[in-house]
Amino acid sequence: MPATIVRFILNGRPTEVMVRPMMTLQTVLREVLGYTATKAGCKQGGCGSCTVLVNGEPMVSCLLPVEDVADQEVTTLEGLTPVEGLHPLQQAFFENFATQCGYCTPGMIMVAKALLDHNPHPDRQTIIEALAGNYCRCTGYEPIIRAVEDAARRLNGGRP
Amino acid sequence: MTVQSYYLPRSLAEATALLAEHGPSLLVMAGGTVVMPLINEGVSTPEKVMGLRRAGLSYLRREDGALVIGATTPLTRLLEPDVFPLLREAARHTATWSIRNMGTVGGNLFVPPPAGDLAVALLALDAQVRIVRAGGERTVPLSGFWTGFMQTVLAADELVAEIRVPEPAGRVAFRKFGRKQANTPAIVTLAVHLRMVGDRVADARLALGAVGPHPLRARQAEAALVGRPLDADTVAAVSELAAAECEPFTDAIASDWYRRRMVKVQLARLLTAMATEV
Ligand SMILES: Cc1cc2nc3c(=O)[nH]c(=O)nc-3n(C[C@H](O)[C@H](O)[C@H](O)COP(=O)(O)OP(=O)(O)OC[C@H]3O[C@@H](n4cnc5c(N)ncnc54)[C@H](O)[C@@H]3O)c2cc1C
Repeated sequence: MPATIVRFILNGRPTEVMVRPMMTLQTVLREVLGYTATKAGCKQGGCGSCTVLVNGEPMVSCLLPVEDVADQEVTTLEGLTPVEGLHPLQQAFFENFATQCGYCTPGMIMVAKALLDHNPHPDRQTIIEALAGNYCRCTGYEPIIRAVEDAARRLNGGRP
Repeated sequence: MTVQSYYLPRSLAEATALLAEHGPSLLVMAGGTVVMPLINEGVSTPEKVMGLRRAGLSYLRREDGALVIGATTPLTRLLEPDVFPLLREAARHTATWSIRNMGTVGGNLFVPPPAGDLAVALLALDAQVRIVRAGGERTVPLSGFWTGFMQTVLAADELVAEIRVPEPAGRVAFRKFGRKQANTPAIVTLAVHLRMVGDRVADARLALGAVGPHPLRARQAEAALVGRPLDADTVAAVSELAAAECEPFTDAIASDWYRRRMVKVQLARLLTAMATEV
């Protein structure tokens, strides 16, 4: 079995993996590197639970051969989480009961992170459209939308 | 069988050379949003795959008014302000943010219906497809690109390199009708380009998606529009014709009967809205 070495930046840190051809970024993160915040859901690009940021843009890691992110910057939920405490988005999800079983949460937060980086003052419709590719099957979308609105307020120093 | 070799050519020339060397045993992949689910599922078990992400085909530029789109340009880039509004609207209704960041404009020409929403808008704008192989190239109109369900004029040694979209010269409208507002497969997708002279239609392009083996032009309906004002009688007659001439199918989303019906209803609404435009 041929193997290749792929180097990329994971959460700011140069990372090197040896992989089978076309191993997905999802598999590399979870099974090679042990970064399990990125979930393995449908593996069809349909559920959003494996969403990571590549150069700041949301992508589903289940459809991404890791060779395609060589030399690129990948951010996962682990990269967002500070050493002490929580990221404002995590805090907002926690306080707004936006997480129940938690399986969709990492993907939701990564998309929300990219959204707020692009647009610090998104309206409700914009939030809904941004999250349209992320499925939640238990909490319900309302608390998630409220959490993103709340996080936007926190990140904007209390202003909506 | 797992993938034995994954090639990531660094130029179009390198990509076409690889294709010439390996022939049809080399699976071509752009954004991978269609190819990868099939590989993950074990439905597709290629031994050799060529990814186009690094082949230098991701670009947008204006040339004499026309918009020139590199084949592997991610769908997201079509949301940029200098892109024709019809294409922006179509891109916004294609897939989801993450998938638009990965899926490509060229890839959208190859997806089985009901997908191919952007392709419907490209068809209404009379896009031209630049096809390249090692040692040659040709350009075909998108209206002649598809030859059947998941079949195109592309030969085994050819790649789509570029899509050229002439500047719209009239009224345009797009509508994707699905079961949900966002991230939904189409029941029908419509894109219209009308050139008016006075209050009469001088030239019409009616493109329909999800109601045939590939995006198609409603030619009889188009012919019936030419020379007519966009009045209620014309709109009713034209929508009836388009519904009759499309070739809808039944899937988990909608029946062929319902799709045909929605062609009539949605096209009538779209044309009626276009009639009041100034
Ligand atoms: C969750 C989800 C939702 C989706 N929703 C929509 C939707 O709403 N509307 C819609 O239209 N689509 C949708 N899609 C389908 C798909 O994402 C898009 O159609 C996209 O544009 C496909 O492009 P790609 O580059 O990812 O294709 P790929 O998977 O890379 O390729 C698809 C096919 O095209 C061929 N191909 C690609 N590029 C070239 C080229 N340059 N030359 C020759 N052959 C080429 C490949 O060989 C392959 O057979 C969705 C997909 C997912 C996973």
